[in-house]
Amino acid sequence: MIEFDNVSKLYAGDACALRNISLTIPDGELIFLAGPSGAGKSTLLKMIAGIEKPTTGRVMVNGQDVSKLQTSSLPYLRRKLGLILQDQKLLNDRSILSNVMLPLIVTGAAAQEAESRARVALEKVGLLDKANALPLTLSGGEQQRVAIARAIVNRPKIILADEPTAFLDRENANKVLSALKAFQSAGVTCLISSHDEQFLDQASRVIYLSKGQITDSWNSSIAA
Amino acid sequence: MTIWFREHLFALKSAYTHLRAGTGNFLFNVLVVAIALALPIAGLTLIENIKPISSQLSIEPEISIFVSPDTARDSATALSVQIKRLLKENAINGKLAFIPKEKALAAMQDSSSLAEVLSTLGGNPLPDAYILSLSNNDTEKLDSLVEKLKALQDVDVVQVDSAWVKRLAALVQILQMGLLFLAITLGVVVIVVVFNATRLQVISHQAEISVTRLLGATNSFIHRPYYYTGALLGLLAGALALGAIAASLQPLNQAIADFAKLYASEFRLTPLGIVPSLALLAFSMLLGLCGAYLSVRRQLARAS
Repeated sequence: MIEFDNVSKLYAGDACALRNISLTIPDGELIFLAGPSGAGKSTLLKMIAGIEKPTTGRVMVNGQDVSKLQTSSLPYLRRKLGLILQDQKLLNDRSILSNVMLPLIVTGAAAQEAESRARVALEKVGLLDKANALPLTLSGGEQQRVAIARAIVNRPKIILADEPTAFLDRENANKVLSALKAFQSAGVTCLISSHDEQFLDQASRVIYLSKGQITDSWNSSIAA
Repeated sequence: MTIWFREHLFALKSAYTHLRAGTGNFLFNVLVVAIALALPIAGLTLIENIKPISSQLSIEPEISIFVSPDTARDSATALSVQIKRLLKENAINGKLAFIPKEKALAAMQDSSSLAEVLSTLGGNPLPDAYILSLSNNDTEKLDSLVEKLKALQDVDVVQVDSAWVKRLAALVQILQMGLLFLAITLGVVVIVVVFNATRLQVISHQAEISVTRLLGATNSFIHRPYYYTGALLGLLAGALALGAIAASLQPLNQAIADFAKLYASEFRLTPLGIVPSLALLAFSMLLGLCGAYLSVRRQLARAS
C-alpha cells in the first residue's frame, strides 16, 4: 500500500510542485495520474521512489516512511520498485539484455541467473529476438518496452511509470499499456502518470492533478 | 561472501570496460604519475646503494700516519714508541698497527684494478705507515694529537680517515630527509592527478551512475569500479617508474665504473631488491586508491 499523508513539495522561490496531497493506493491497483504538464504527476511518482523528498507530510510505502529514509537505505527501497522513466534512460553502450540484467546485477545476483531472468522479461515484452541489439538500434516503442522489461525483471510489487507512452504512436502506446495491465492482473500495483487522456478508461482509478493538487479522482468503468 | 565476490568481479569488469573506452587518457595518466614517482624512486635507489658503504665503514676515528719514504725501517718502527707516548700524554686510548710498505703493496696488488698500474711502476713506491684506531671521539683532543703527530721527525703525512666517512654519513642523512620531503610532495601530486582523472571519469559516466542509482545500486556498488581504476593506475605507474629506473642504471653504471676506477673502487648502482620494490608498488597502488576514493566521494556526494 502507498499512502500520501498531507504531502507538500516546495522548491526555492516558493514554486509549489505539490500541495497538501493525501491519498491511499491499495495493492494491485492500476492508477492513472492525469493532468496537464507541470501538474505534479512526476513529482508524486518520484517521492514514492525517494528521488524527491516532501517538504511537509509523509510518504508511506508498505508501512515504511520513505520521506525519513537515510540515503544509504534508498537503494533497498528502489529494488522493490520497477521504474519506467520518461526518457527511458537505457544505457546505450551495452546490449538491451545487459540493460535488463542491471537491476539484478546491482543486488548481487549471479550472472547466469540474471541473464536467464532477463531473457524471460524480454520475452514478455516480445523483444527476446533482439536481446543482443544496442538500444539506439531500436525504435522508440521498442526502447520503452525494454524499459518495462528492466522494470519487471526483479519482480517488483510496485511499478511506477512516468509518461511511458510519451513520443509513442497509438499502436506502440497500446502495446506498452497492455503490458502494464498484464502485470497489474498478476497483482502488481501500477502507477502511471500521463497527460494523454485517451487511455484513462483503462485504469481502475484515475487521479487528476492540477497545479500540485488533486482536483478530481474517480474509479473507471473497468474498476466498476 | 559469494555476493561480495560477485560484486567485486563486476566492479573489475566495469573498470576494465571504462578503461577500454578511454585507453589513451588512462595511459597518459599512468605516464604522468610514473614520472612523478620516478624521482623519489631514483633517490631511494641511490640512497640504498650508498648506505651499505657508509655503514660498513667505521666511524670511529682512525688516523693514518705515513712515514717519510726515505726513512730506514729501524727508525720507522721506533716511531711507535713516540706515538704511544703521545697517546698517554693526551689521555687517549687507541690501537696502533704498523703497516710495512711490503704489506701495503701486497694489499694493493690484490685489488684487480690496481695490479696492472703497480706493475708498470717498478719497485715499491709506498711508504711504511701506522694505523691508529681511537676509541675517543673528542674532536679537540683529536685535533691536538694530529698536530703533535705531524711534528714528529720522520712523519710525512697524517690523515684523519674517519672524517670523510662522517661526512658521507651526514650527507646520506640529508639525502634521506630531502627524499622524504620530495616523496611527500610527489605523493600529493600523484593523489591530485588520480583525483582529477577519476573526477573526469565520473563526470563522463553521470548518466550510467544516475540510472544505476535508480535501479537500487548502493554507493559501494557505484564507487567500486573507480577505486579499482585508481588503484590500477597507481600500480601500473609504480611498475613503469621502477622499470624505467632499473633500465637507466645500465648506461649509468658504465659512466660510474669509469669514475670509480679512478678511486680504486668497483662501485656500481644496483636496482632495488624485491621486497622494497613490492613495497613501492603497494604504496603507489595505495596512492592511486586514495586519489580515486577522495574524488569519487566528493563527486558523487555533490551529485546526490
